[in-house]
Amino acid sequence: MRITIPGIIRLAWLTDPDEVVAANDSGVVQRSLSGLGGLVQRSIAAKLAVFRKADGDIWPAFRDRADRLRSDRQKELEEALAETRTLLKRVAPETGALAAYVRTGSTNRPPEIIVQQMVGRLFFPDYAASEESYDAARALQTWVSGGPIKSYLLKLSGELKRSLDLIVTLARGDTSCAHATAIAMHNLVDTIERMRRLARRRNNLQKLSPQEAILATLRAPKQVVRETRDAGRVCGKHLGARTLVILRLECARRQNPGTGLEFFANGWNRCPAHAIVPALLADVWKKAKAGAE
Amino acid sequence: MSRENDGFEFHPTGLQRFLDAVYRIVNVFVRWDKLPTLLAAFNLAAFRDRLRAHNLHHTGYGVESAGKWQPGYERWRSADGSYNCLAHPRMGMARTRFGRNVPLTEAVPETDEALLEPSPRLISRELLARHKFNAASTLNLLAAAWIQFEIHNWFSHGPPKSGNEFKVPLPRGDDWPAKERFDGCMHIQRTASDKSPREPWLGAAPTFRNFNSHWWDAGQLYGHDHAKQMKIRSSQDGKIKFDGEMLPKDPDHKGADFTGFNDNWWIGLSALHNLFALEHNAICDALKSAYPQWDDEELFQHARLINGALIAKIHTVEWTPGILAHPALQFAMAAQWSGVPERWLHLLLGADNEVSRGIPGSATDQHSAPYAMTEEFTAVYRMHPLLPDVVRIHSLKTGKQETINFIDVQGSKTRALMEDHKLANVLYSLGIQNPGALRLRNYPNFLRQFKKDTPRGEPEIPLMDMAAVDIMRDRERGVPRYNRFRELVGKKRVTSFEEITSITDDADKMREIYKDVDRVDLLVGLMAEDLPDGFGFSDTAFRAFILMASRRLKSDRFFTDDFRPEIYTELGMDWIQNNSMKSVLLRHFPELGTALEGVNNSFSPWNVVRLAHHR
Repeated sequence: MRITIPGIIRLAWLTDPDEVVAANDSGVVQRSLSGLGGLVQRSIAAKLAVFRKADGDIWPAFRDRADRLRSDRQKELEEALAETRTLLKRVAPETGALAAYVRTGSTNRPPEIIVQQMVGRLFFPDYAASEESYDAARALQTWVSGGPIKSYLLKLSGELKRSLDLIVTLARGDTSCAHATAIAMHNLVDTIERMRRLARRRNNLQKLSPQEAILATLRAPKQVVRETRDAGRVCGKHLGARTLVILRLECARRQNPGTGLEFFANGWNRCPAHAIVPALLADVWKKAKAGAE
Repeated sequence: MSRENDGFEFHPTGLQRFLDAVYRIVNVFVRWDKLPTLLAAFNLAAFRDRLRAHNLHHTGYGVESAGKWQPGYERWRSADGSYNCLAHPRMGMARTRFGRNVPLTEAVPETDEALLEPSPRLISRELLARHKFNAASTLNLLAAAWIQFEIHNWFSHGPPKSGNEFKVPLPRGDDWPAKERFDGCMHIQRTASDKSPREPWLGAAPTFRNFNSHWWDAGQLYGHDHAKQMKIRSSQDGKIKFDGEMLPKDPDHKGADFTGFNDNWWIGLSALHNLFALEHNAICDALKSAYPQWDDEELFQHARLINGALIAKIHTVEWTPGILAHPALQFAMAAQWSGVPERWLHLLLGADNEVSRGIPGSATDQHSAPYAMTEEFTAVYRMHPLLPDVVRIHSLKTGKQETINFIDVQGSKTRALMEDHKLANVLYSLGIQNPGALRLRNYPNFLRQFKKDTPRGEPEIPLMDMAAVDIMRDRERGVPRYNRFRELVGKKRVTSFEEITSITDDADKMREIYKDVDRVDLLVGLMAEDLPDGFGFSDTAFRAFILMASRRLKSDRFFTDDFRPEIYTELGMDWIQNNSMKSVLLRHFPELGTALEGVNNSFSPWNVVRLAHHR
């Protein structure tokens, strides 16, 4: 589907799994947004432009394919997050608490804060999440995906800057950690919530294996945004220059589950947490299951 | 400190904001070049401010330090350009990185497959190759030599790198010599890469170093490092060393004169280098008379400042209006150097405003990024079609004429030719001949199969198709292709080939090769584009020029805060004020008087001197 209103927006949604994968790999489609092409493009680019350090260091999720620092960092992080046994041990208190939540529906601390702390501790063993840090993450998520009025208010009130500063401070300037604890964590929070609902129905907790539970609850991010710098073809479809390309990941994943779209498993931008996230979820389900028995 | 500005930000005034808004509306209905002269000149000022705000992007310096401070740097230029900006001493010095005129995320080269599409060799053959010499009738060949002379001041990417060459497949029937083919491909060497540590904010944008100082400091004459400069100097009365009537021979570079930068040498460059070395020595004589107590160093450094500023002035008020002969440009370039004459504008803008008084002597301003030459500026200065296929050398004395292929007036053959024909005759010959026009199908064919002389001690350079090399240079350096470049310098994208050029054959050929208008290479688009009245190059290239030509002056302490008698001397200020290309030519070669009589711009064709016995 496409919309073109000259001066306002030029937009294309891709939902077909093959198209999504092809667009992601295509040289025609870029990750960085120029803000050119229409007012909507400008507004979205301006939103994403805040995710950089004071010296201009862009967060990894917004870096281009050919960015050597991105690929080096991705490789480094992938290696660090591949130490699943060590990491699972490190975040055992958090996975235990989340397992209790999945099993009983209640915890001492809100589960989203536990998730944020768990994610943070993958980077720093002493990362401490709090209500403030989670509110900051939520504010940033709202900034990214909220409507213009909400975003405007966030900026006007100074909450955006405060949130960003807090997240980056807690992440000790590590942009990968900042991205994980501010943006990426929300998908995990939603997955834990789905696990809880899954566990409540019938006797799923006893019946389902961790892998089955993950399959039933883990989703891809709803969508990611890309841009064409110049006109070009993707899967035979012509995309005009400066088209905002929305890759509807979850929609594509549903059409073809098991292709790894949750983590862009075969793409250049494969999520470095592609091994640790399923391991964490499996651990949570396993512990919840053990608690129930 | 944010990398976007490294401490520098553009702060538009209320008037600049107002003009920007007004001209955005005006330009919806009328193109700038169709406006009355004064309105058009202010339209250009509005473009310039917009570009200053959005089209200056810092890429880091790429060098650790500026080297040691030397006494005198506060008063004159260092050899390598360091300490021009006292607060940021690395800015603009030799071996720092090229900046960009487009956001760094737009300066990312395509991947290998797209990088070679369409084939640069195909473009060279079908769109660039000269079939018939298309002359630029309003210019002389000295104008072509001049721009190369200046480019050698501003930038050099250094010798290209062997190994990991681009492999350009050659189609059947291509006339590329068999012994220069590698697995059926033509090889193009890559630009020397920048190995300095990369700042994380650079993203995927490649960086390259400028081996020359970025400043407009006449480094092509004086060298870009202290050691070279000392070899150029005679160490007596501040003068440049001469060997008889000419600069000395370069022992490492057969056929070239020993000077600051002598790559791609030919008689045009030799003529200008010798002319301005003579001018330097004339300035030294004048300074010595005025300041007899000065030593060699004082004389040399002051003469360098004065000579450099005179060269910059000639470029601004003579060469530029020569190649861009539009009334608004005539007005704007004069205003850029010496301000506008209209008193009401002084009252409106303020006496210290750069438009009222001219950039020289106004306050230094880096606008939104530290000063550096840019890759995009390099790209718009690809002007090889200016070169003709042959040069006719005339003798002023005898009237005899010798026609020589261009290939034989360059490289190792240059020096002997200069010695045989003498400088005055060469200058005269350049003055009366036209260069080529900067259009499609006008790329000199000798450069499309060119074997460059290799300086002693350097690896042999393989045969080159310079037209294909020019295409690949822009692509490998991440310079956007034509349509995106237009958009990024503030012009509308075109949607068809016919919008680029009204020449149907050219539009059809581009369509056949590129298929998609967004794929047109920058060089091709610039050469194809329909020109505004009087323009010698495209309006799109001109946008980069509007920004960078004034920036070379406005960012430089020695053209702004320190453009004053205390630094240049009263004699120096008068010398710059009172001289022009014509006066320089006539000072050293009075025999050119008849040829230059009545000629208002030394870069337009001179009078052909007819000798009495030839009548």
